[in-house]
Amino acid sequence: MQVKVIFGEENLTEDVPEDYTIKELLKKLEIPSETVVVKKNEAIVIEEELIQEGDTLEIIKVIFGG
Amino acid sequence: MNTCSKCGNQQIIIQKKHSGQNLCQECFIESINEKVLKDTRKYKLLEKGDKVLMALSGGKDSVVALHILNSLREKNIIDIVAVTIDEGIKGYREEGIEIAKANTRTLGIKHRVVSFKEYFGRTLDEMRGQDDTRQDDTRQDDTRRQGDTEPRHACTYCGVFRRWILNRVAQEEGATKIATGHNLDDETQSILMNYLEGNINNLIRIGPKSESRDERFTVKIKPLREIPEKEIGLYAIAADLNVHLAGCPYAGESFRREIGEFIKELSRDHPTIMYSTLRGFDKIKPILKKELTPKGNTGECRRCGEPSAGELCKACSFLEGWE
Ligand SMILES: [Zn+2]
Ligand SMILES: [Zn+2]
Repeated sequence: MQVKVIFGEENLTEDVPEDYTIKELLKKLEIPSETVVVKKNEAIVIEEELIQEGDTLEIIKVIFGG
Repeated sequence: MNTCSKCGNQQIIIQKKHSGQNLCQECFIESINEKVLKDTRKYKLLEKGDKVLMALSGGKDSVVALHILNSLREKNIIDIVAVTIDEGIKGYREEGIEIAKANTRTLGIKHRVVSFKEYFGRTLDEMRGQDDTRQDDTRQDDTRRQGDTEPRHACTYCGVFRRWILNRVAQEEGATKIATGHNLDDETQSILMNYLEGNINNLIRIGPKSESRDERFTVKIKPLREIPEKEIGLYAIAADLNVHLAGCPYAGESFRREIGEFIKELSRDHPTIMYSTLRGFDKIKPILKKELTPKGNTGECRRCGEPSAGELCKACSFLEGWE
């Protein structure tokens, strides 16, 4: 299934399997989950949240190190 | 199904791994507000009538601290004036300044922007250009070890000059406290970093509230000291605050960053490690402080008049070195 991913300036379309979680998506995109807040269809969600067909996921980096 | 531990809402935004607590957006914001105000009382960070100088970079930490402290200002318990320091980091600081302005405008808080350039005649970018690798003996502390011939990190200058400006602006504004946005991650990093470097003078100064014997130093407070950085980021997004989300281009050079990554790595499997590091340190600190506080009176820097252990304060010793 396809989902939309917004990460900073990037707008991506990702193909993910059924029953995929935010955590798995972040891992796939190689984004450390402890540095971001994720919104699914504009609502903040936890890492364990399941992704559904057509979802829009906004990944907001909040920790930059240093 | 996970539901909010406080109100039963099914839309939770955080699962606190160390406590097992789940919170919805509203209850999370409320819990952070409460925790920060509770710590403020517990550590006696503020007193009625305090005039607080908020060091406001525009980043998430200082913006969140400003908004939470503003609740005390709205109740006429304290007054706040915000200051943003323009270190002169091209391509980075400009946006933070605009965001700091927007926040203070919204809240109706007095705001000043002060720069390294106006106080020291040079920007941080220029200070780095002037750096060289020579050894010098102007430092009274032990941050520079023997045989260490590497140029200083931008962070060293930035820290020294920022502290100087904050103290000076606090005097100019008649502020009784200086508040900063330091969070649990920052504090844990400082503890580990100073310990590993053997920098005991700096180690024993770490705490929620500065305790200088010298009245010419305005007391500094850290209201967010027990809030993990990740939760401050989450708060900023959940409360829809206008924050500058960007990393300082110089941060990558620092030992602090290495330590920060190390602790974050550890925290993944040991979610309470930052809390326990802080708790343990806070317990041994009074003993360390009693045994190890340097003796001797603090004099005055002959150049700027700020309190200083040596003839020159650290800021002025850098400045003289460049002349
Ligand atoms: Zn709730
Ligand atoms: Zn001086």
